[in-house]
Amino acid sequence: MIQRLTDALGADSVLHAPEDLAVYRFDGYATGATPGVVVLPRTTRDICAVMKVAKEFGVPVVARGAGTGLCGGATPGLGAIVVSFARMNRILELDIARRRVRVQPGVVNLDLSTDVARHRLFYAPDPASQRSCTIGGNIGTNAGGPHCLAYGTTTSHVLGLEVVDEHGEVFTTHIDDIGYDLTGALVGGEGTLGMVSSAWLRLTRMPQSVRVWLVAFGDIDSASETVSAILAAGIVPTALEMMDATIISAVEAVYHAGYPTDAAAVLLIESAGFEEDMERCQTDIARIARDHGALSWHAASSQRERDALWLGRKSAAGAIGSMTPNYYIQDVTVPRTKLPHALRAVEEAVRANGLRVGNVFHAGDGNLHPLIMYDKRNAYEVAAVVEAGTQILTTAIALGGTISGEHGIGSEKRETLGLVYSSDDLDPMLRLRDVFNASGLLNPEKIFPSGARCAEVR
Amino acid sequence: MPDRKRSRVAPTTITMLQEAVISARDHSYALCIRGAGTLDGMGGRVTADLDIHMTHLKGIAAFEPGDLTIGTFAGTTLAELTAVLREHRLMAVLDAPHPQQATIGGTLAGGWLGPRRHRFGRPRDAVIGTTVVMADGRIASSGGMVVKNVTGYDLSKLYIGSFGTLGILARVNFKVQPIPARIRAISARLPEHTRERVIERMQGLSGQISAALLIDGFHREIDGEDGSDGRLVVLLETSEILLEQATRDTRGALGQAGVPEATIVDLGPMDHLQRIIDAGVATIGERSITYRVLGDADDHERRSSQLSADLSRTGLRMERIVDACNGDLFVRLSDRDSRSFAGKLADCDEIVHQHFPRAIVVACTSPIRDQLTIWGEHPAAIEKMHLLKSAFDPDHRLNPGRFLEATTNG
Repeated sequence: MIQRLTDALGADSVLHAPEDLAVYRFDGYATGATPGVVVLPRTTRDICAVMKVAKEFGVPVVARGAGTGLCGGATPGLGAIVVSFARMNRILELDIARRRVRVQPGVVNLDLSTDVARHRLFYAPDPASQRSCTIGGNIGTNAGGPHCLAYGTTTSHVLGLEVVDEHGEVFTTHIDDIGYDLTGALVGGEGTLGMVSSAWLRLTRMPQSVRVWLVAFGDIDSASETVSAILAAGIVPTALEMMDATIISAVEAVYHAGYPTDAAAVLLIESAGFEEDMERCQTDIARIARDHGALSWHAASSQRERDALWLGRKSAAGAIGSMTPNYYIQDVTVPRTKLPHALRAVEEAVRANGLRVGNVFHAGDGNLHPLIMYDKRNAYEVAAVVEAGTQILTTAIALGGTISGEHGIGSEKRETLGLVYSSDDLDPMLRLRDVFNASGLLNPEKIFPSGARCAEVR
Repeated sequence: MPDRKRSRVAPTTITMLQEAVISARDHSYALCIRGAGTLDGMGGRVTADLDIHMTHLKGIAAFEPGDLTIGTFAGTTLAELTAVLREHRLMAVLDAPHPQQATIGGTLAGGWLGPRRHRFGRPRDAVIGTTVVMADGRIASSGGMVVKNVTGYDLSKLYIGSFGTLGILARVNFKVQPIPARIRAISARLPEHTRERVIERMQGLSGQISAALLIDGFHREIDGEDGSDGRLVVLLETSEILLEQATRDTRGALGQAGVPEATIVDLGPMDHLQRIIDAGVATIGERSITYRVLGDADDHERRSSQLSADLSRTGLRMERIVDACNGDLFVRLSDRDSRSFAGKLADCDEIVHQHFPRAIVVACTSPIRDQLTIWGEHPAAIEKMHLLKSAFDPDHRLNPGRFLEATTNG
């Protein structure tokens, strides 16, 4: 098989030495098995060739962007072919007038926005890992980010796809196609429905004015009630993020972002639009925050200060690494009015299991990211973190929420999918998968539960 | 269950809908899934044994204004949804024809796209969860009542635009958004040779305006009287502070495009917009046909002028609506009488598709409608769509004839 892949792609595009393969076992969350081979295609044709070889030999294929995923979506099974899109990182077409761009899947999220900034455009979905994560991976997980509150998640920004299917054939989709919205169905497919070889994306105009405010609170409940009140007042900021005292301390210790270390929680709020609207927006949000007991209010006065505040937020998960040997990041969404209840439940679940937690999350979307600290050398703590994580999932579901807001299901949560969906709910999802992945070679053992919970699934 | 003669049921609950589908399955009946029929002009004729009328499966299933989400049963009308949301100064932007009758399920299944989507998003982007009854009678939900959700595949996307051929939408959950403080329409007559410049200027303003529609014809439907050809309606939805600035900017842009005068319409601006949307599917007896094309407005403007020239020999009247912000084009062709029209229709259908291969028919009651290329050119992934249909509805019992079976002319 390796020889066939080498013949098709060239020796420099096929890795099979053990030391090369070892790094492809991981993503940002999980450790998989050692793949049989890693290929680095440069073109759509290369991907087709890989898929045909995989089919011929009956070997699973796992698509991989930057490996920043947080649900074990890109981890391979033993002997699998990992398709790394690291070399397919070109912007293929830019249509400024129509604000759209066609890119290869390996383009780094932030690089795209940086590239089109000279035209006063940007690509709106901005996961915290945007400095390294790729568009292909973003499409696979329907990635979100802080600014999805106003702009929507990846699925709202993908106009069309070129996809290599399980047979190694290419097909294309567009959201303006009549009939079935294959584009929408494929986004979030986690590599189980095909491999995206290029994508048309929607670009967004840079707003005329951007304001960022940092608001401190003496307790978590006041902060989360402020979030609900802002939205209930009909104000939808572009981002509405919350960090608790643990995260504030961790970020300040590492990044010196300017967060108040005496606060129990801060809200990082961004609004964007026309300058005339911003004053009113600031007045309204400040009044709501004050009414909910805000301790302090700070408006960033420069782009540099805005960047510093955001860098702290987007680096929070890394910063917490200075406080604990290991951490587990959970990803659940609840209805926004249930935020105070959900946060209390998180605290209780973690404390009951003898652990500590930091909360940094997309409060405006109700998308929680508890970072549970533990030491993986300690078997008790490993068991405790699993238990606390499960309790948080069940709490989110009980509150009318769900088990993943933006990270995906992957291998991490596949066994808990049945907590959200019945076998009847899963049936059409499996039909969809079987249309695009009848062979089961595309990223097997992901998303869907194994075993008795659903006898049909692989 | 009725005998093989075509009959109808009108379920009021999802369970009743499920029972009807299971019974139909057991009798091998084909089903025609119907909303209010406001988009009946789209798609092929359904050949079925049983009509399922969805208009009685209605109401609000869940609504928490503070969450900015709402769950509705599929037979709820757009007007009912709007009324419930408006009480809390919220909105779901669907912008479909005849909202007093149109159902949420029918509007979504028909894949309708309105003129404000460039600013507020497509209906697909507002849908956060669905419950469908599958062809085999299973009740299957996906998504939920939260605004960010990547738990499993996003099946809701598949049902939107599927014309009820993959599953029957029974409940739809939306994320909603605040209604802007001020709404205003600006209308103007367009002097000759200004259209392309107007489109360009309106596209430049698309960050500020909610809709910009250039209209030729459709006088009876929109104005209620004869008037000039070549007019423009712009919709502004802004904060209190920005309204006058946006008005000045719009007028300024029109002036630069050669349009000297523009009239402010503060009385019922949304009604004005709705009449234009309704016009997009309005027929003139059996003597008209309306096509819709998605794409780029400036390109459509050029090609529709060429189309007009090519059609001049047929004697048909051509009316059109161009959506400058989204690029949609509606073209209505009509004749003096239905017999004469029917005689020309096949030729004119061919001419239209020479200029616009992907033009779809959205309104036509002519008896020869079924002979036309009603779905335009195939989408590139039509084979995958056929596979999906077979997977979701292996016996082809959901709305047979409406979509895939009617795409053979492309």
